[in-house]
Amino acid sequence: MSRIQAFLRCFAVKIARRAVSVSLLAAYCAIAALPVAASGQTAFTLPAPPFELPFLPPVSGNWTVTIGAEGQYKPDFEGAKASMLSAVPIFSIRRAGSADPFRSPRDSASIALIDFGDLRAGPAAKFVPARLQDGHPELFGLGDVNAALELGGFIEYFPVDWFRLRNETREGFGGHRGVVSDFSADFIVPVTRAITISGGPRFAWESTEAISPYFSINAAQAMATGLPIFNAMGGAHTAGAGAQVKYQINPQWEVHSYVEYDRLLGDAANSPLVTARGSVNQTTVGIGASYSFDFKIQ
Amino acid sequence: MRAASRYAWIAMVILFCIAMTILLVLSSGAHALFETRDAKLASVKTVGIISAVGDQFTLAKAGLTGLDNSSRSFPILSWGLDDLIVQQATTALSGRFQVKPVSYQRAVFAGVKESPIKPVEIVRGDPFEKLVKTEVSPQGLDAYIVITKAKANLGGGGRKVEGIGIVTYRAVLESYSQLYALYEIRIVDGKTFDVIEKMAATPLDNAANVRLAGPSRLIDENLSTSPGDAGDENLHRAIVDLIVRSLPITLSDMHLR
Repeated sequence: MSRIQAFLRCFAVKIARRAVSVSLLAAYCAIAALPVAASGQTAFTLPAPPFELPFLPPVSGNWTVTIGAEGQYKPDFEGAKASMLSAVPIFSIRRAGSADPFRSPRDSASIALIDFGDLRAGPAAKFVPARLQDGHPELFGLGDVNAALELGGFIEYFPVDWFRLRNETREGFGGHRGVVSDFSADFIVPVTRAITISGGPRFAWESTEAISPYFSINAAQAMATGLPIFNAMGGAHTAGAGAQVKYQINPQWEVHSYVEYDRLLGDAANSPLVTARGSVNQTTVGIGASYSFDFKIQ
Repeated sequence: MRAASRYAWIAMVILFCIAMTILLVLSSGAHALFETRDAKLASVKTVGIISAVGDQFTLAKAGLTGLDNSSRSFPILSWGLDDLIVQQATTALSGRFQVKPVSYQRAVFAGVKESPIKPVEIVRGDPFEKLVKTEVSPQGLDAYIVITKAKANLGGGGRKVEGIGIVTYRAVLESYSQLYALYEIRIVDGKTFDVIEKMAATPLDNAANVRLAGPSRLIDENLSTSPGDAGDENLHRAIVDLIVRSLPITLSDMHLR
C-alpha cells in the first residue's frame, strides 16, 4: 500500500513539475513574442475607449503590465506531511512608472481605500481551495471540504520604510464560516537598487468555525478512518516565519524566491489527522520570474 | 411548469434591464454622461492656464533610513517654475486653442490636499473644480488647464513624495539619489466646471531600476548639485529640463496638441 502511495505521490510530483515547466515555457514564449520591452517605449498603443464611465478615472495614458509564473512547492493540504509542486500565474497591471508596492507571499488580494502613506487599510479577499479526499489517502473517509472565499479587511503600518506590520482579518464563506486573523511583520532590506531581501515572523489566529471543517473528526469520520473523534476548537493556529529575495535584473525582468514556514498550534496541531497522519511543520517554497512591459491607451 | 415560469420571468427581467440600458445610453442625457474626452474637447476654443507646482523643493530619504525619515523643504519661488510652465504650455497649446491669460491665487491651488480616505475623495469630488469656479478670473473661458503637484509612491513602502525634489535611497551596498518633478494636469470645463480629463506626467524613460511615477532622473557624475540650496543653478537647470521635456508629452497624451 505504501509503495502504491509513494508511486502515486511521485507521479503527482512529476505531473506537477511538468505543469510548471510547460507554464514557464509558455510564459517565456509569450514574453519572447512581445515586440518592444518596457524601456522607455510602449510595446503597443490601444485606441481611446468609445465612452467613459462617470465616477471612474480616465484610462488614457501609459500602463505597465507584469506577467509571469511561479513554481510553488507546498503541503498537499493544511496539516499534510507530503508536499506538491504547482504552478501559479503572476499578473498585475498598474500606471506606468509607479513603484511596485511591497508584498509578502502571504498577503491576500487587497485594495487600500485608506492611505495615509505609512498607514494603509482596506478590503482584502482570499480564495481557499477545496480539500478533496481523492488523491490523498490520509484523507479517505473524512470527506471533502468545499472551497471557501474569505472576505475581510487589512491594515498595515510602515513606521519606517524598511519595516512593515500587517494584519488581515477575514470571514469565510463556503468551505468554512469562521474568522481568520493573520499577523505578520517584515523587515525589508534593500541590498542594492536591484536586490531586496525581506522577512519576519508570522502568526495566525482562527475561530472554531474556521478550524473545525479541516481538523475536527466526527463519529462518522472516525468510523470511516479509524481516527479518534476530535472536536477542534479555535485559538492560536500557526506561528512561523518567512523570507523572500527579489532580484530585478533590468526594468523588465524580475526573479524572486521565498520560503514560508508555519508550525501548527492549538487544536490544529492536536488533531489526530495531524498527529497520526500529518505534520505540524508546514513549509512552502516558491520561485518565479516575471516580465513587465508598457502599453499606452490613447 | 413552475420552474419554466420562473425562468421566463428571469429572462424577461434580464431583457428589460438590457433594453433600459440601451435606452439610457442612447438618450441625450446619458450621451453627455458617457461622452468621451475628445468629444468634450471638440467644442473648446479658449483656455486659461493655471500652474501651482513650483513653490517648494523637498529633500526626502528612503530605503534604509534612520527612525526619523521625515523630509525637509526649502522655497524655490525665485526659480519661477510656474511662470515657465504657463509659458511652455501656452506655446504648446497655441496651435489649437486661443490661450487667454488668467489670474489666480497660486498658494490656494498649491495648498489643496487630497483626503487619505478614498471614498471621501469620491463623495467630495475634485477640489479644483470649485477653486476654478471661485478663484480664477476671468470666468467664461471654454476650459481651464490646471497644473498642480502630483504624488508618487517611494519604493515598496507606503510613503509618498510630492511636487519637486530629490529623494535619496539608501541600500546596504549603495546609495543613490533621484531628482523628480511630479505634476498632474486637469482640464476643467469652463461652463460646468467638471474635470474633463486628469493625467499625471509620466516618466521620461524607464531605464532606471528605481522608478517614480513621474518625470525623474538619477543624479550621477553628469549632474553635480548641492541639494539644500535654492541658489544651485545646476539643480534649477535639471528641474527645468525635466519639465520642459515632459510637459509637451503629457499635453499630447491628453490630446491637447
